[in-house]
Amino acid sequence: MQEFMQQVVSGIASGGVFASLALALVLIYNAMGLVNFAQGEMAMFATFIAFTLVDHGLSYWIAFPLTLVIAFAGGVLIQRIVIRPVERAPVLTLVIITLGLATLVNGAAGFLWGYIPRAFSSPFPVSTISIGGVVASLQDLGVIGVSAAVLVLIYLLLQHTTIGLSMRAAAHHPEASRLLGVRTSWMLALGWGLASAVGAVSGIMVAPVLLLEPNMMQSIIIYAFAAAVLGGIESPLGAVIGGVIVGVTVNLAGAYLPFVGGDLRLAVGLAIIVVVLILKPNGLLGRPSVRRV
Amino acid sequence: MPLLELEAVHAGYGPTTVLHGISLSIPEGGIVSLLGANGAGKTTTLRAITSGVRWSGDIRFSGRSLKRMHTEDVVRAGIAHVPEGRGILTELTVDENLKLGAHLRSDGAQVRKDYDRVFEYFPVLKERRKLSASTLSGGEQQMLAVARALLMRPRLMLLDEPSLGLAPIVVRAIFEIIRTINQTDHVAILLVEQNARLALEMSSDAYVLEVGRVAVSGASADLRGNESVRRSYLGY
Amino acid sequence: MLVVAIFFIGLPSVATNFQTFEWAEVLIFAIAIMGLNLLVGYSGQLSLGHGAFMALGAYTSAILIHRYHVDYLATIPAAGLLTGIVGFLFGIPALRLSALYLALATFALAVVTPSLIKRPVDLTKGTEGIVLRAPVPPFGLQMTSEVWLYFLTLGIAAVLFWLAWNLVRHRPGRALRALRDGEVAAAASGINVAGYKTLAFGISAFYAGVAGSLYGIATAYVSPDSFPVSLSILLLVGTVVGGLGTIPGPLLGGIASFFLPILSQQWVPTQTWIPAQVASAIEKAGPAVSYGALLIAIMIFAPNGGVGLIRAGYGILQGRLRAGDRGTGQAPPDAQTI
Repeated sequence: MQEFMQQVVSGIASGGVFASLALALVLIYNAMGLVNFAQGEMAMFATFIAFTLVDHGLSYWIAFPLTLVIAFAGGVLIQRIVIRPVERAPVLTLVIITLGLATLVNGAAGFLWGYIPRAFSSPFPVSTISIGGVVASLQDLGVIGVSAAVLVLIYLLLQHTTIGLSMRAAAHHPEASRLLGVRTSWMLALGWGLASAVGAVSGIMVAPVLLLEPNMMQSIIIYAFAAAVLGGIESPLGAVIGGVIVGVTVNLAGAYLPFVGGDLRLAVGLAIIVVVLILKPNGLLGRPSVRRV
Repeated sequence: MPLLELEAVHAGYGPTTVLHGISLSIPEGGIVSLLGANGAGKTTTLRAITSGVRWSGDIRFSGRSLKRMHTEDVVRAGIAHVPEGRGILTELTVDENLKLGAHLRSDGAQVRKDYDRVFEYFPVLKERRKLSASTLSGGEQQMLAVARALLMRPRLMLLDEPSLGLAPIVVRAIFEIIRTINQTDHVAILLVEQNARLALEMSSDAYVLEVGRVAVSGASADLRGNESVRRSYLGY
Repeated sequence: MLVVAIFFIGLPSVATNFQTFEWAEVLIFAIAIMGLNLLVGYSGQLSLGHGAFMALGAYTSAILIHRYHVDYLATIPAAGLLTGIVGFLFGIPALRLSALYLALATFALAVVTPSLIKRPVDLTKGTEGIVLRAPVPPFGLQMTSEVWLYFLTLGIAAVLFWLAWNLVRHRPGRALRALRDGEVAAAASGINVAGYKTLAFGISAFYAGVAGSLYGIATAYVSPDSFPVSLSILLLVGTVVGGLGTIPGPLLGGIASFFLPILSQQWVPTQTWIPAQVASAIEKAGPAVSYGALLIAIMIFAPNGGVGLIRAGYGILQGRLRAGDRGTGQAPPDAQTI
């Protein structure tokens, strides 16, 4: 039983990572109806930046928020330069552009930092503590804590500030918002910046576990897709819930189902995506959309 | 100087031109109605003012040309536009819609007073404050749209068919409030209406559009009294 | 059309063995892209996972050759058929997914494919991969392995191209295009939407399977790492860059898919309008960066791909020739009052 609970806690920690990246996907989907296939690569790039800052002597707890600011700026830049020219293009064009972006960012990271995996030291001590008989690693608890804090901050920003309100208005009702003086185009850029920052959290949290290298996020994004789809691609809360469920499920499947083992955990993510899309395409918290003729 | 001036404005959608040289002017604090049948170009005129459609000619607000300005900047200059269909943000709550009306203002105390007034005019909005705006009926949504425009404290309000789809009692109530806003806050109004009679009662001047051109214009009182104009253009 | 045929038939006589081999790979890509083009360009379903179908075709051939000693020529249609059936079965659940969700699901499939291949180790020999022998020209023909491979691929590509062309020209093509342009309307006109969509999936998978099989035979080696997600992306990109929903598109797409990553890295330094530091940084950064940047630029400036550009150019030419006929522009008739 104890081991089971440990796996669950571990799964929740992974879930925090998936939830952050899934939230980034949801933010952009809400703003543009687009799944940003480059979100994982952008997160990886930001993590490398954090690594470089720490490598140059900055304390982790300064490098972390600084990286988020840089990631935010990067997201805004990408929206302004790459996405804005093709805002009204069909879905296929936008998908390919995000794929091109993913390729570019991945290649750039490889160029700047090489492909040899590096150790990214975690700020959390390696020890474990015991809560009610369940042994949990401080690393896992740290990840859960940070992810939760970030998610709460995003929630407060979006729901309780004027700028968050403007962002939501611009995302759902771009034309009507313009008539209220909202600078819709800039709100979209902010959305990208925010998504980029939230994605960066995901990368920084997972790097100590996975070893930092350019292809690090390629499996994480699949889990993030699964989380977003499970929660409902329009729902930020869904992304969080989905993330935790996916994290726990994958962890338990890997630990207790022999044919899954280590290699096929990613396939579990795929399976979740397929099952959800077939049974309940709108996810747990999504709303059925009406198909306009 | 008139508050708003349109000079030989042409506008259209893609290859189709809808407005063929519209000129009109609105005095400070005045109420002007824009009348005409469906397809005459009334909505397009309003859209041109807030840059929702490409236009040529000139549009001046307090003497300053609006050429090449984005919609949100025209709005920030002091023009509130309640569009056809009301432009309610249905994904948000009633309160959030109102907040977006006031979000550009920095005079906090006055904003609170305006909130009080708005709830006084439209008590139903106060009751349903926390609910999604999508739960409001058509009439209530119109009230929300007008309330929100009021909170913007504009110098000019563009109203596109505020009576559309509403019960006569509701229409009268809304028009009374619009008149009050005009008189107390000196907000100029450009009113597009199919209900010509109501519009002419409210406004001091009127323009009648036909097929994208100004067919008739003048003081509302004169148009009201002119039977042939009423028959030919206004349908009553 | 004739020019193209002459070019391809004559190629081996003027090119080196290695270049001939390269162009065989171009044709292999073109075959896969023909399939993807049918799916995306004609039936409007987005797939980011066709690399997985290629992998299936490649491994089918490899296993049949290596384990069961089947003649490699016979494995090609077998691989195609098996992959086609799997694709068709895929098409059934795919019916319920919107374009974006389908992209997402097939992308996930592409990412997971290498690990799915590694699992059944007895069959696929896991990470080790399966080594095959280079194909020997039959009937004692006097040509190198590369040249034989090239002509084999050319022949198959020509047949499949002819097949696709006919499909598109006749009823299935029209039905698919009606689907792409508006499913509800198509269904209302009595087209069996579900049937055609799954059929499109099956056929496109068949093409990818054949391409995969040829790929395995050509490179004489298959391994899980031969089929990363970037392959699927490359195929989709080739389809779009060549010209979506067009007949000649896949050929251009095959050329683009193969040469774009290599050339974009080499092309950049030759462009004098790019400042020197930027150019050298891009060159050193490797093919991925220039490829990604070029891809974005193409999507922004020429989203209809190569064929689109050619058509646009043609259209401008025709427009200039016709300008004399057109009278002065008249404003369209005014809106009628009711």
